[in-house]
Amino acid sequence: MNTLIEARGLKRYYRRGSETVKALDGVDVSIREGEMVAVLGPSGSGKTTLINLLSCLDAPTEGTLTVAGKSVAGLDEDRLVEVRRGVLGFVFQRFHLLPTLTVTENIELPLTFLGRAPDPKRTQEILAMVGLTDRAAHLPNELSGGQMQRAAIARALMIEPRILVADEPTGNLDKKTGESIFRLFKQLAAKGLAIIITTHNASFGREADRAITLEDGRIVKEERTDAAK
Amino acid sequence: MPTRYLGLALKNLKRRPVRTALTAAGVGLAVAVAVSLGGFVLGYRQAIDKSIEMLGFQVMIMAKGCPYEAATLMLKGGTGLLYLPSDTYRKVKDDPGIEAITPIFVGIAQKEAGGVRDDASQKTFTVLDGIDVPSFVAMKPWLKFKSGAGYSGGKWFDPASKDEVVLGYELAEYEQRKVGDSYYATVTPFGKTDPVRHEFKVVGVLERTGTQDDGTVFLPIDAARDAFNRPKQLTILGLKLKEFNAANMREFENKWLKLPEVQVVSLQQVKTTLVSLVGTAQTMIAAVAVIAVIVALIGVVNTILMSVYERTGEIGVMKALGARRGDIFELIWLETLMICLLGSIVGSIGAWVGAGLVEKAIKSLADLGVSGSIVRITPGVIGWAISGSLALGFFAGLYPAWRAASMRPVDAIGEGAA
Repeated sequence: MNTLIEARGLKRYYRRGSETVKALDGVDVSIREGEMVAVLGPSGSGKTTLINLLSCLDAPTEGTLTVAGKSVAGLDEDRLVEVRRGVLGFVFQRFHLLPTLTVTENIELPLTFLGRAPDPKRTQEILAMVGLTDRAAHLPNELSGGQMQRAAIARALMIEPRILVADEPTGNLDKKTGESIFRLFKQLAAKGLAIIITTHNASFGREADRAITLEDGRIVKEERTDAAK
Repeated sequence: MPTRYLGLALKNLKRRPVRTALTAAGVGLAVAVAVSLGGFVLGYRQAIDKSIEMLGFQVMIMAKGCPYEAATLMLKGGTGLLYLPSDTYRKVKDDPGIEAITPIFVGIAQKEAGGVRDDASQKTFTVLDGIDVPSFVAMKPWLKFKSGAGYSGGKWFDPASKDEVVLGYELAEYEQRKVGDSYYATVTPFGKTDPVRHEFKVVGVLERTGTQDDGTVFLPIDAARDAFNRPKQLTILGLKLKEFNAANMREFENKWLKLPEVQVVSLQQVKTTLVSLVGTAQTMIAAVAVIAVIVALIGVVNTILMSVYERTGEIGVMKALGARRGDIFELIWLETLMICLLGSIVGSIGAWVGAGLVEKAIKSLADLGVSGSIVRITPGVIGWAISGSLALGFFAGLYPAWRAASMRPVDAIGEGAA
């Protein structure tokens, strides 16, 4: 399996007044194709900071980072977006669907940014995969939380990304819905997609191929789970 | 014109319909003021041009007095008439620079219980123009007699007649007079105190010209002079020069200003006078329009900025999904342009529909010295207003679009989630 993300000595410091906040303080991580990695840890441990760096939404203060073969350390936003486009798909805790667009329009939106025409057949396939065929013409406020998260996953998959980044994707869902979303992720990883998930839920962590636990911006535990064996 | 984000921009604007409508209304108000102003400037100039052109002459010789009164006298009628000695005509007519000349005697008569609309207690006034038909018609070859039932056989009066008149179109309509009917007017002869009632026979009704002629009673010049007891006087000499230009006009003016009691007025001067009279009003209206545009600009910037701040999280997500800085800029800018386009269409329609009211309001505020429509809202004026509004949107959208495009996705998503 190819390595899609390779990070060495990754640091992200912030200035807060006269104080320097070490949100991430020297993290080494690599993620391969088809691998599902869970990032665990309490609030403020650096999970979101790590995932933002690995998904090129933010740039590290120090360290090296290669995403899909491209070195991204030191790049500004205009260059980072070029790395993200067509490579990374995103799923957010609060879904972040555009409220004025239907499910179909929401999931086709990334194609507009990439300048690609939507393929109705492909859209139908993705909707079927996430179980939203009968909700295609609905607006987000007509969907349940689980359906909204499925729509967000469909939106991320629309561009056929190589890496799927999910920040607390089950955080706003009940246990049963959260489990169904996790099962969907496992199916996607089985098809070769690299998936990085942050979660508070240790049981979900055990479902991933690998679990990384952060505390105070450092990796305190990294283990391969039974799911990977 | 970008089209990729049209649908998305439209949906974003529909998200807050009241806010979008109010902002567009602000733009619409500014555009309506601008269109009305443009329509007034254009319409007034055209009305002056038409009124002057329809006078048929380039130069007037009249008794010394206020040049504005002199101008409006012929364009719109008026009181406070001053008279020239009639031998002025004899002195001037043989000037080699003149191509054509016509003497006109203007008098104000009282209409008295003659029209079907009058009641016995009501008295109104009308303009009587004593003219020399051959020279007058040579100046105004477009004058035609109305035809049809009750109007057939219309003709100019006999120059020696004392009781024949030709009526202008609107006067005849208002008085409901046709060929063969009687027309009554009461004149107080010069130097007398008792008014004299005259009964005239209508021998012709003119077709509409859109000028003061439509409201005028024409009669032979000698009959008019007799009626007003001013046998040796004239009101105006209308002239056409063989070659009309500034140098000839100056030369002609210098030659005849030596006559006492005479002023020579070129219609170009009349036009300049009339335009300058409303220049101040136009400047004030333009200032109001500029203020309205500035207020609209601030309103648009405010609305779009507010919309950008509200959608900070969405903008961050769109960037995460692959939108470049230019994509976000284009989307926000398009929303601004759409608001301005909507406002300009609404404002233009409002101005077009309300043109009549604007015209009434302007005319009630000031006597502009011309007859006919003074507000002309043409496709050209509307085109300029819409282009101006889009230019407004172009500038108004720059800052909010730049602000949105410059957001870092990681910050924007975080703020949007807060």
